[in-house]
Amino acid sequence: METSESPASVGPVLRARGLEKRYGDGEGLVQALDSVDLDVARGESLAVMGPSGCGKSTLLHLLGGLERPSEGEVWLAGRRVDRLSEKALARLRRRAIGFVFQAFHLMDELTALENVELPALLAGSSPRAARQRATELLGQVGLTDRADHLPAALSGGQRQRVAIARALSNEPLVLLADEPTGNLDTAATLDVLRVLDSLRAAGQTLVIVTHESRVAATADRLISMRDGGFVEETRLTRGTHGRLGELAGLES
Amino acid sequence: MGRALLVVRLAARDLRRRPAETALLLLAIMAATTTLTLGLVLQGVTDKPFQSTREATAGPDVIAALFPRSDGTVDPAQVKAVTGEPGVVAHSGPYPVAGAVLEAGDRTVVAQIEGRDTAVASVDQPKPTRGGWLRPGGVVLEAAFAEALDIGPGDRVTLSPIEETAPGSEPSLQASGAGREFRVDGVAVTAATPPYPEPACLVNLCQGGADTGVLWLGRADALSLYPRRDSFIYVWNLKLADPARAPAFAAEHNPPADLPEGARSSGPPPPFLEPWQVIRDASANLVDNQRRALLTGAWLLAFLAVASVAVLVGGRMADQLRRVGLLKAVGGTPGLIAAVLLAEYVAVALLAAAAGLVVGSLTAPLITEPSAGLLGSAGAQTVTLSSAGVVTAVALAVAVVATVVPAVRAARTSTVLALADAARPPRRTAWLVALSARLPVPLLLGLRVAARRPRRTLLALVSIALTVSGVVAALAAHADLPNGSGSARADRLDEVLLVITITLVAMAAVNAIFVTWATALDARRSSALERALGATPLQIGAGLSAAQVLPALAGALLGIPGGLELIAMADPDSSSPSPPLWQLLAVVPATVIVVAVLSAVPARIGARQPAGRVLQSELA
Amino acid sequence: MPEPVGVSVKEPTSGYQLRVVQEVLLALLATQASHGYQLRARLQLALGPLAEALNAGQVYVTLNRLEKAGLVSSQRVGQTDRPDRKVYELTASGRERVMEWLDDTSWPKPAPAEFHLKLVAAAAAGLADPVRLVDAQRHALLDGLAAAQRAALAEPDGSIAGLLLEGVVLRLQADLRWLEACAEYWTSTKER
Repeated sequence: METSESPASVGPVLRARGLEKRYGDGEGLVQALDSVDLDVARGESLAVMGPSGCGKSTLLHLLGGLERPSEGEVWLAGRRVDRLSEKALARLRRRAIGFVFQAFHLMDELTALENVELPALLAGSSPRAARQRATELLGQVGLTDRADHLPAALSGGQRQRVAIARALSNEPLVLLADEPTGNLDTAATLDVLRVLDSLRAAGQTLVIVTHESRVAATADRLISMRDGGFVEETRLTRGTHGRLGELAGLES
Repeated sequence: MGRALLVVRLAARDLRRRPAETALLLLAIMAATTTLTLGLVLQGVTDKPFQSTREATAGPDVIAALFPRSDGTVDPAQVKAVTGEPGVVAHSGPYPVAGAVLEAGDRTVVAQIEGRDTAVASVDQPKPTRGGWLRPGGVVLEAAFAEALDIGPGDRVTLSPIEETAPGSEPSLQASGAGREFRVDGVAVTAATPPYPEPACLVNLCQGGADTGVLWLGRADALSLYPRRDSFIYVWNLKLADPARAPAFAAEHNPPADLPEGARSSGPPPPFLEPWQVIRDASANLVDNQRRALLTGAWLLAFLAVASVAVLVGGRMADQLRRVGLLKAVGGTPGLIAAVLLAEYVAVALLAAAAGLVVGSLTAPLITEPSAGLLGSAGAQTVTLSSAGVVTAVALAVAVVATVVPAVRAARTSTVLALADAARPPRRTAWLVALSARLPVPLLLGLRVAARRPRRTLLALVSIALTVSGVVAALAAHADLPNGSGSARADRLDEVLLVITITLVAMAAVNAIFVTWATALDARRSSALERALGATPLQIGAGLSAAQVLPALAGALLGIPGGLELIAMADPDSSSPSPPLWQLLAVVPATVIVVAVLSAVPARIGARQPAGRVLQSELA
Repeated sequence: MPEPVGVSVKEPTSGYQLRVVQEVLLALLATQASHGYQLRARLQLALGPLAEALNAGQVYVTLNRLEKAGLVSSQRVGQTDRPDRKVYELTASGRERVMEWLDDTSWPKPAPAEFHLKLVAAAAAGLADPVRLVDAQRHALLDGLAAAQRAALAEPDGSIAGLLLEGVVLRLQADLRWLEACAEYWTSTKER
């Protein structure tokens, strides 16, 4: 297993200070996020867990520039990004952030390959370069034989893997995943976990929002949220096989 | 009974929920029905007045023009042949007719002068509407002619003999001699010539297509203008025992049409007979042109309305699908479902038909006042029952054609699919997707947006093609009109053309805005996704505009030959008129620019919402 | 289940033991006779990474007991270049025992009662903060979950041991869900 780069040498790749997000006003005011601070080191894999409505998806959207915070700051690779214009945010998303959604959000009328090459095309790559990169990435997630299939012909796990490949298209600094296994059954979850694990091993910075503890358990660090705030932070040990026997029902 | 009530209630509620769309539907169909009403109301609008004029003036059944021999007299045999026929019960004449240059105030026009007696003629005695009949030294002008020149009894005019012109060219306005001044004694109507601005066509006067008017003056005065007797032709007005026989009578006496020029025997040309039916039809010419323009415009607007409604309906069917599912799940038959879906649009169509009929009949007087040269008005401009039926049928047809396919499809969808709200999946066109990858980002996005909904793109293309056809046809018709200033005929037709063109363009503009808005809504999810993947809002907006501009370009290119074909169909007797080349060339870029501008606003609005919000709402 | 009879209990004590190793060995012998080492290999295959945790000598000890109890019989087989090895096969009563085991649908019981009572007692006696206890337990289980999930990911697709690990993961997940509910409850109790 590769170790991540020493964080001290490069500083956190993602940093948030005092993040707040409010919706509505007066009687209908909803405080989705309540003054949250966060640092994510390069190469780190972070899981955010919590009950529904705790603000974890909102946090991810703010980190990814899909929404603007009501208060607070977000820094990506040392650049302040929360006050950027939509245009600059779009450029940012092209280069630095990859997003994976619970509902996959693939274009139904494009094949897997065409879906994966889309971010590169939007960033201005030549069609050939985009296609080449897309083919590579599909190979990485193990779907080379499905390159010409439409999403409707793919299973849930395959669709999410295509979505992950798409998110990697422009070599993002951070991959943000919002409940990546939320719509998947156990087998598909395993497939996606495998891909995420291989990314983690290759040094990709990951922030995964999930309500499934098994997904969170594969991360380096786990943050629990409730009611818009962080309540706990845990560093997960790698665990040894020794305990496994007991957990499986073998007696000592 | 209960079911019919249910259908009505559901339809009414749905219409009320979307007032803007309902209003738009109404407007689109109303444009077509109003124009159609106007066109139909113009049918036969001159018939009654012409009949009244004929009765009041003892109008002739046949007008016979006889040409003088070289000595200036008419061959009596010819006269006998015409007037002595059995079946001719009365006649008046001969009256000398020639062309002259008329100066009235600062206007100089060509007129057809006819020498008359002060006594009352037995056939064709023009009836004065102002002033009185001829007195020595005076002239009487045809009523519409006088109105156009803005002169009345008591004014003075100058008549000068006209210079000989070669046949086939415009009648010269050069006086070839000194003019004489005359006093206007009165203004009268007649059934022997169509009213101004229909040209009076005896004596080579309507070769150039210029408007000419008719006036009467004393016989002696007429003869004094032209010392040479052979400058005149002589007109007899005949009354037949059986007026309906007039065309046959004229045909018997007219030379065969295929007689070659050179085969004419030396001597005076044979007489030329014109039946009263021809005069009646010519009196309706002006109105006829307007009517044809209006009817053509009405059909174009109707097709445009079909396209608009189809786009509107197509967009709404997607979210009607869930209602359909519910109705089915509680036991509604496909028939009931289709009835509910159609009921809304049928209701709007009926309302639009009624509104169009009302507005059409209210505004009809603006264009249908028959000429001052005919007695009486066209009667109350009531819409006949058959016209109302036609208008309603067209409105219903528009609604049904535009909605039947989506309605049937929705009614046939399986309940499960409908409840799951599996909205129509976008279509995939592999070669377009591959092609778009090579284009710059806005075109990439635009092409894919257009390809996702091919039917809507096609409708946008068709509506632009129809509009451009209409505009090109109108431009061609306008170019075909003689551009002499003061040509009343041209002016009135021009007005109608302008109104139709403006209506067409307005409907098409509204359509373009709406199609863009519908497309932006439809593409909301994929636009949000593309923004999440790195497209800037500007690129998204430009893409949505491009999705409109590309079919508009194709539609404009199609509209040019379409318009030329249209004008050829609408006006079969004119020789393939065409607008000036610069106008034809300007139509395409003008259309593209207008569509780009119109689609820019809704496109930008659609691109502004934060991407996260749209994508997240997908999950809710 | 008959008690092992009169046998020296010098069993190796390192590693874990299977509670039902007797039944498993009988079942594995149902189709064909096998050597001891073959049976052990098949067990290890089915357990995957957990096999290393298994007590090394348990198989042979159990085979002895089973033979003494008359459920299997053995034969020595001569080998050319090695000491003789035993081949075991099922007897009729052994076969009976296998069928009984296969038909038995009793399931290892979940046991939240103990932990539940631990919390209640701690709270009642003021000995410890139940929320802290829950958190500590959660961390322990999370570590276990991490180990199990990682082991599952390391297994190739369709591996039979992967299925076992899946079972571990899913039950740990379920337990963790209950612990989250406990945390909720005891936190809100504290706040009242």
